[in-house]
Amino acid sequence: MRRTVAAACALLALTLTGCGVVDRPDPAGWDQQAGTALEDAASQVATARLALRSAARERTWSTYTTVLVAEAEEAAASTEEDLSRVQVPRPRRSAAARVQELLSRAVDAVAQAREHAVDGVYDDAALLDELDRVDAALEHEHDRVAP
Amino acid sequence: MKRYFAVLLGVLTAIGGFVDIGDLVTNAQVGARFGTSLVWVVVFGVVGICVFAEMSGRIAAVSRRATFDLVRERLGPRIGFLNLVGSMLVTLLTFIAEIGGVALALQLVSSVHHVLLVPFVAAAVWIVLWRARFSSIENVLGLMGLTLIGFAVALWQLGPDWSELAAGLAPAEKPAAESWATYAFFGVALFGAAMTPYEVFFFSSGGVEEHWSDKDIGVMRANVLIGFPLGGILSVAIAACAATVYLPEGIAVETLGQVGLPVAVGLGKIGLAVVVLGFFAATFGAACETGLSTGYSLAQYFGFQWGKFVRPKEAAGFHIILLLATVLAAGVLLTGVDPIMVTEISVVFSAVALPLTYFPILVVANDPDYLGEHVNGPVANALGVFYLVVITIAALAAIPLMVATSMGQG
Repeated sequence: MRRTVAAACALLALTLTGCGVVDRPDPAGWDQQAGTALEDAASQVATARLALRSAARERTWSTYTTVLVAEAEEAAASTEEDLSRVQVPRPRRSAAARVQELLSRAVDAVAQAREHAVDGVYDDAALLDELDRVDAALEHEHDRVAP
Repeated sequence: MKRYFAVLLGVLTAIGGFVDIGDLVTNAQVGARFGTSLVWVVVFGVVGICVFAEMSGRIAAVSRRATFDLVRERLGPRIGFLNLVGSMLVTLLTFIAEIGGVALALQLVSSVHHVLLVPFVAAAVWIVLWRARFSSIENVLGLMGLTLIGFAVALWQLGPDWSELAAGLAPAEKPAAESWATYAFFGVALFGAAMTPYEVFFFSSGGVEEHWSDKDIGVMRANVLIGFPLGGILSVAIAACAATVYLPEGIAVETLGQVGLPVAVGLGKIGLAVVVLGFFAATFGAACETGLSTGYSLAQYFGFQWGKFVRPKEAAGFHIILLLATVLAAGVLLTGVDPIMVTEISVVFSAVALPLTYFPILVVANDPDYLGEHVNGPVANALGVFYLVVITIAALAAIPLMVATSMGQG
């Protein structure tokens, strides 16, 4: 009986440890969260790029493109914000700075894509190149952080 | 001739009405992440829903009473209540997701935020539930839902490597980066989406609404055995379009707009417009079906007059439930909760509630007091028991998989 109570208490304590106000993962846990965030951001960047390219080829109408890119922007910003609230383990400080900078760049690129979508400008080569570069950089960083 | 027309209309509406927000979102998500390696779950789920829809349709046609009208009588108030609570909560959750889905579909053509559209959509759904005839709801929205065939046409236009798509059908061909736990989670979600409980609530109660008799069993079987599998093909086409366009790009599907984008890539604006009309019809139709199912299940359990075959005044309690459910759904969506997240949760909890829905059907379908000579034969029983075992395993695995994979995140 005592053992059962002790086990239940230990389980409860373990569960509550994971329910803190601040998420404090160990280095491996942080790597996983950062990897997921980079993957999500890459997905949003690729969505914005595909939406603009489809619109440039007149395969979607303006409101559809705007909604798609605006939702990608919102999701990318949410990904960046979520990771920024995670307590970075000391050994991952420099990696975290790199990842946050890259996520911020992704959010900026998708925000620019949204501005272009609202203005009806779908074929800005400089923006499309930037989306390509950000996507590639996100994938590269993902391979470094969570191979 | 009239009979052939009834079969054709029934089959067409069954195809168009098969896909709802859960199928749209889950199939696109799965296609984008797992290619075609989970298509077997859709096929398996479609066979399962055919088995139990045929049983519940037969019960309605022979006994002239809806399945869940009989559950309390046959299994007692306790089991009946458990069945009611489990199945109805999932149906209500699905109702919320469907109303949100209609708002998301309208957002794609108006660019007005979906939260602002929710009150208008909820009002429109309630007016249709209150005023429109049952056959009009079923036929008009079911036929409009056929526009989702646009996904199959888009797939053909996208020109995928068919041999690669076919080779990807084997479970072993799942992308190496995805874990087996995530694969199993999405498998359970797909299964829940294909076998969602409201489909049998609606199907059996609809049989009573349309005054089926044992002479209609043949037409009912044709609707189920032809219409549902063809509807399942639409689900597969949605997954295959996502697999063709998104999997190579590493894009995950999180919005309804992303579900339709592969059609735009394949067919352009007209194809996209047709499919967005399909989104609207599928979600609006399913909103009506789930709304009605909520009313059916509560009214049938508590034993008061239900249905659209009587005037609203004669089924006041039933119509009050419909109104309250619609207000509740709108209220939940007005908090700003993401309808796609509600959809993801609803398909997982559909899987959890499956045994509560399907076990009583199997029991009632074996009772000669209700079905006489039309009780289950050995094939229906063998399939029913087999599926009940699978359903129970899926129900037990759903929550642990949801926790272990953080809703399929990894």
